[in-house]
Amino acid sequence: MENYNEIDDILAEEEFVPVVFQKAINGVKIDESTEKGYIEQGSKTELPFWLARELHMRQAASISVPACFNQKTRLEIQADAACVDLRSRCPYFYEFGSKLAPLCDKTIGLLLPYAFRIRYKEILHKAHTIAFAAASKFPTLLTTEETSLYEAAQSSMAAFKKWRAGGPRLQRASILGRKRKPAE
Amino acid sequence: MAGQSDSTMSLFSSEEIEFMAEDEMTEIVPNLRMDSLNFICGDYGPFLPQLAAQVPLWLALALKKRGKCTIRLPQWMSVENLTRVLEAERDSHAFQPLPFHYIEISRLLFDHAREDIPDMYMVRSLVEDIRDVRFHKVETNLEKFTASTVTWKNMSAMEVNVIRAFAGRALQAFYKHDNEQQTPDTDRALDKQPQIPTDRPKRNLKPR
Repeated sequence: MENYNEIDDILAEEEFVPVVFQKAINGVKIDESTEKGYIEQGSKTELPFWLARELHMRQAASISVPACFNQKTRLEIQADAACVDLRSRCPYFYEFGSKLAPLCDKTIGLLLPYAFRIRYKEILHKAHTIAFAAASKFPTLLTTEETSLYEAAQSSMAAFKKWRAGGPRLQRASILGRKRKPAE
Repeated sequence: MAGQSDSTMSLFSSEEIEFMAEDEMTEIVPNLRMDSLNFICGDYGPFLPQLAAQVPLWLALALKKRGKCTIRLPQWMSVENLTRVLEAERDSHAFQPLPFHYIEISRLLFDHAREDIPDMYMVRSLVEDIRDVRFHKVETNLEKFTASTVTWKNMSAMEVNVIRAFAGRALQAFYKHDNEQQTPDTDRALDKQPQIPTDRPKRNLKPR
């Protein structure tokens, strides 16, 4: 609850996870097309994480591993973490993963730092060295957390370069440049 | 600037760092006679023609702009010293001791006192080279760091400032991941707390 008001935290919990209901639940529908007004035990659906977590705590549903942490993604991360397009899989990969790990699969907890360590180095080099136009493709692979890192590095580098190139230290007020009209 | 979206990590702009660098003392040789100046930060002068005086850089630059003095190049900015420092920077992993504000001071002097610097182009390219070597070193250091202790000696104000936002965020991320890795069970216990009341009756029911 410490991040209650944080927008990134809220958005991270909006990610959908596949769940399997462990209990029959009356009065709700997961599918508009069904006639039944209840959910059968063992039915599968996708729910936002915040809802799935509450159901999981009450042991009404079990959470299975969502697509962004499936075996295929893991293999890709192990092959070359820096090149995996995590943003299209889940923009809040780390945030979401760390929330999810204790509930469904603890190995996700090991995957996150592993992926981050490798991707961190890539961000470090790309953000500090590559010229802005050339780096246009790389940031599209980054998750939200990584983007904030990347942008922090780029903007402080840009600010430094701007300062070093110099320029007028004192800005002239626009009014000063005008010529005074002769009083009539 | 970079920190604006995140209020917890406030940043200095390069201009602010430059402003702080202007408090460093420099030696000037005035060419006018003037009584001592009394400021909140101290008293400077009296100034006599051809007699060297110690003043803050901002005052030196102000006098210089009015053509009232020449600035003596600081010791560390001599070609011999810079060449030595550059070689040492290239040879070792550690940062060589240089003034905390060396980037800012050198830039200010290049901009405003170029006629007082003998071998201006040489000095300028040496400072640039040193800065590049050191920045590269900063990057390789950043590559290695994790949430453990980080000790880098002799980094300068501008070098720290350029990586401030990035390093802060990166350390936070490392810290977060490392903690999760070590203590997933406590996290889980915390998450489960609200569940305990609903959990208990069920267990009681089972044996019946």
